[in-house]
Amino acid sequence: MNRYLKLVHMEIYRFRYMLAILMGLTAVCQIVGLVLYLNSEVQYRYSHFDKFGQWPDSNAMSFARALFGTQGWFAIPVVLCIAALILYAFLIWYRDWFGRSTFIYRLLMLPTARRHIYLAKLTALITFIFALVGFQLVLLSLEKWIFAFTVPAELTEHSYIAEAIEANRVLATLLPRSFEQFMYAYGIGIMAVIVAFTAILIERSFRLIGIVYAAFYVAACLLAVVFPIYTFGIDRSNAYLYPEEVFGIECLICILVISVSVWLGFRLLAKKITV
Amino acid sequence: MNTGAGWEDIVFNSRDPVYLQVVRHFKELIVTGRLDAGQVIPSRRELGAKLKINPNTAQRAYKEMEERKLIVTEGNSPSRITMDDNVLRTIRSELLGEAVEAFVASVSKINVPVEELVELVKIKYIEAQDDVSGRTVSEGGGDKHD
Amino acid sequence: MIEVRNIRKRYRMRYVLQDVSFTAEKGQITCLIGMNGAGKSTILKAIMGLTPVKSGQILIDGQPLGKSVYEKVAFVPDHLTMPLGMKLSEGLRFMADFYDSWNPQRAEELIRFFKLDTKERIGNLSKGTAAKFNLVLGLAPNSEYVLMDEPFSGIDMFSREMIAEVFSSELIEERGVLLTTHEIGEMEHLIDRAVIMRDGKIGMDFDCEQVRSEEGKSVIDVMREVYLP
Repeated sequence: MNRYLKLVHMEIYRFRYMLAILMGLTAVCQIVGLVLYLNSEVQYRYSHFDKFGQWPDSNAMSFARALFGTQGWFAIPVVLCIAALILYAFLIWYRDWFGRSTFIYRLLMLPTARRHIYLAKLTALITFIFALVGFQLVLLSLEKWIFAFTVPAELTEHSYIAEAIEANRVLATLLPRSFEQFMYAYGIGIMAVIVAFTAILIERSFRLIGIVYAAFYVAACLLAVVFPIYTFGIDRSNAYLYPEEVFGIECLICILVISVSVWLGFRLLAKKITV
Repeated sequence: MNTGAGWEDIVFNSRDPVYLQVVRHFKELIVTGRLDAGQVIPSRRELGAKLKINPNTAQRAYKEMEERKLIVTEGNSPSRITMDDNVLRTIRSELLGEAVEAFVASVSKINVPVEELVELVKIKYIEAQDDVSGRTVSEGGGDKHD
Repeated sequence: MIEVRNIRKRYRMRYVLQDVSFTAEKGQITCLIGMNGAGKSTILKAIMGLTPVKSGQILIDGQPLGKSVYEKVAFVPDHLTMPLGMKLSEGLRFMADFYDSWNPQRAEELIRFFKLDTKERIGNLSKGTAAKFNLVLGLAPNSEYVLMDEPFSGIDMFSREMIAEVFSSELIEERGVLLTTHEIGEMEHLIDRAVIMRDGKIGMDFDCEQVRSEEGKSVIDVMREVYLP
């Protein structure tokens, strides 16, 4: 346990600069986008007032509307962060095999169960995901404050932060309103990471032919997950099963896919892996 | 660099057992007066490090020398060169005998009357003695550190 | 004692190890000698569980491979396997964090002996210095066995001399050392046992002093017999 935590610490420590860069990029991109948007909107309203002696019809500005108007600025860094994390799900393993120092030698020779290496990498990756999501939340309060600071009171219309999140498609996907939705989105994401880890370990164990095995494995997992939806249907009126039942089956299959993948990953790491 | 008794002056050949080469090296040091009777010798570990051999080999060489009474170890005190004159004399004659044998073996190929040979040896030997005596005076110190 | 019993390993349709058996005793220096590609490194990796074998058995003091073995057996690969961004001091702390057998005093002594600067980054070390640091990581733990893969290859003369000094010091005394080399050269007088490998098989396994005294042969003579019969 102790060594597992040390491994998690080490994995996070190794990614710290990258994480900081991603956060910095997100903050800069979103704030710049927001400020540019707000300035142009405020300016438009004032110039309208100067010209016609009255405010434009839709004069009120809310934070929610501001986020709606800056979707692109918000989407770019978020997509970039997601892409970086997906890439890192592979790099977190491959970086230890390639390059001048093959750290995997050392990791595999640590006097601790090898599953701790797997779990530490998984924990680290999940930590990165939630660190970025958490950072986005903090950033939102900061952005709300910037909004209040930039937009004059007479043009401001109040909105809740939840409304603001709803208004922005990227944020709405990233931070679902219901806890259930949140669990599904991130649960499926984490399952995908686990399947990818196992595929990587299959490739690292069997090398060239391992690529074929890994592809088969991923295909099998994918098939297992989408199979019930396609066969039984969820919205079809003539469906044989109730949606709740299909949902139940789906959950079971996901749990099965995760368990098998983790078990296989542990086993490969303990018995088959090669440096 | 003061190499003390000249421990490092050894080049091992790879076909004779290393421990026997070490024993022979000791005999040469004794016969040439670079090791005195009763002098304390380095521990096997120190010797291993000085001669760059593995400690097992040094151990084996010491065991061999103890069996042949070349060195003596009493209790926990460090090993010393034997004080036994008989042993020392034997070593001397042994090495001398070997050297002369080798000399004779190579000289006997040249057909030379023994008187002429002895005379030649005498001259060369005295020459060599004069040459070396100046240099060897400073040697034989007991400093075991490099 | 490290026992390797009948191990076989296949890689890409050909056997890289065929029925390899030998033992490395504690308190002795055993050397695996053979040309490049003879399978020496693979054996060390197999002993450390870094690559699987098809069949056979590897026992360390009668125990099969397990996580506790890594406290008991240290492996010094032919290159440094620490993240390049780490400082030497961070590398040492990493080892101390994970290994119960880590001996900080000995690590410090070794660092001083090799004159290493712990503020340096691992990625900036020259080849010779990296080899020295690699040796520090392998020798500082109180492990009973040390495996070394080509400790002398590709290293400058002065670093080689320093590393050779380690072999005749108390650092390896009492431990079992198993190392590989493709040129016996300066190692000839340091090793107790030689295991000569050729094409994934053991050609000869002998006590060096015994062969010298009984047959008057050097290690190189025996190697020549194995390779040029």
